[in-house]
Amino acid sequence: MRTDTRKTMVEMRGVTKYYGALKALDNVDLDVYEGERVVIIGPSGSGKSTLLRSINRLEEINAGTIVVDGFDIYDPQVNINKVREEVGMVFQQFNVFPHKTVLENLTLAQIVVRKRSRKEAEDIAYALLDKVGIREKAHVYPTKLSGGQQQRVAIARALAMQPRLMLFDEPTSALDPEMIGEVLDVMVNLAKEGMTMIVVTHEMGFAREVADRVIFMDFGKILEEGSPEHFFVSPTHERAQQFMRQIL
Amino acid sequence: MKFVPDGILVTFEVTVLSIVIALVIGLFTGLGRLSSNRLVNGLASLYVEVIRGIPLLVQLFYIYYGLGRLFQLPPLTSAVAAMAICYGAYMGEIFRAGIQSIPKGQSEAARSLGMTPAQSMYHVILPQAVKTILPPVGNEFVALLKDSSLVSILAVADLLRRGREFASQSFTYFETYTMVALVYLMITLFFSKLISIMEEKIRAD
Repeated sequence: MRTDTRKTMVEMRGVTKYYGALKALDNVDLDVYEGERVVIIGPSGSGKSTLLRSINRLEEINAGTIVVDGFDIYDPQVNINKVREEVGMVFQQFNVFPHKTVLENLTLAQIVVRKRSRKEAEDIAYALLDKVGIREKAHVYPTKLSGGQQQRVAIARALAMQPRLMLFDEPTSALDPEMIGEVLDVMVNLAKEGMTMIVVTHEMGFAREVADRVIFMDFGKILEEGSPEHFFVSPTHERAQQFMRQIL
Repeated sequence: MKFVPDGILVTFEVTVLSIVIALVIGLFTGLGRLSSNRLVNGLASLYVEVIRGIPLLVQLFYIYYGLGRLFQLPPLTSAVAAMAICYGAYMGEIFRAGIQSIPKGQSEAARSLGMTPAQSMYHVILPQAVKTILPPVGNEFVALLKDSSLVSILAVADLLRRGREFASQSFTYFETYTMVALVYLMITLFFSKLISIMEEKIRAD
């Protein structure tokens, strides 16, 4: 049971989004609490990435409200950049900055956005590179790294801002199979530290290990939610049963 | 043929001043063409369409005789202004294409870290776009250097203008214009080579 003592990190109400005539998000309500790990699953085109990207307003929504860490992010009075400082995001395609070294990838936003000194930013960056296991690559350009290493740089880059919430958009889908583990390990450790995480993924092993709640989406709607075990054992919705059969 | 070094200096002066100003105009025009603000976008598009539809020589006359007389501009200033305004429109399209060549994920990553659109453009997009932008800018530089001979029609003592004066005094038309043509050719060949070396270096990175 949820208790009211937990702080709400994300509160979505009636969120609706169209791409032309296509309804990508259909009246979605969702609460995510501080410290909670939520995994979103669903077939491609189900709206799960769009849902995630609307939480830091990389997607504009057509109706509804989204409150992140107390800020109504579609309110014109709210500075979205301030909210984004507290919301880290990891992309399927990594999106590391190829013209900056690994270290500079981690320090750029700290210096420009958080206004930290170079020294302070580098100290934080080195500590995070240790954590994701690529300190020795600090002065290398990320294009020289493997996909798994690039994704770990991207995670460290987001963590360097010391966000209160992390969004992961299919972080392992573009990786070769042998590199998926190293990225998931970093994410599992992050979960153990208590980070609030919303993760779009098909990695059910990861979901089983860290997720407090799994959400199944299709047709732009949340069709079912429950524990990871619930989805392994007895999903009730026909679409969810079908989907679980396909990915397991 | 003492006119050659003095003439080259003025030709370079016109070319370098024009290209630098054209780059600045081009940057803002390119950004304007990509702006979601309708007014800014419309103005930038109008500028590009108008300038590209009018011959450079007509623009030179328009600014030199029209505006230059009105505002009492010295010949060199009017000439540089006209060349820069003309080439700025072409540079704008180069900047626009260069910025558009950077994958959308780069600006999304920058914005997701809390950067403003301007910070994202300055720290993330433009440094990467430079690689795409530099080679065509080099080509524009060579084109501008050749087009700068048009200012000889105004009272600007560039290479061609000094050559024309020298020829009419010495009656050595054939020799003088051969010399002028060869000097232009050597300069443009030199810069073309420099640009292709630069391009190869960028591609090797």
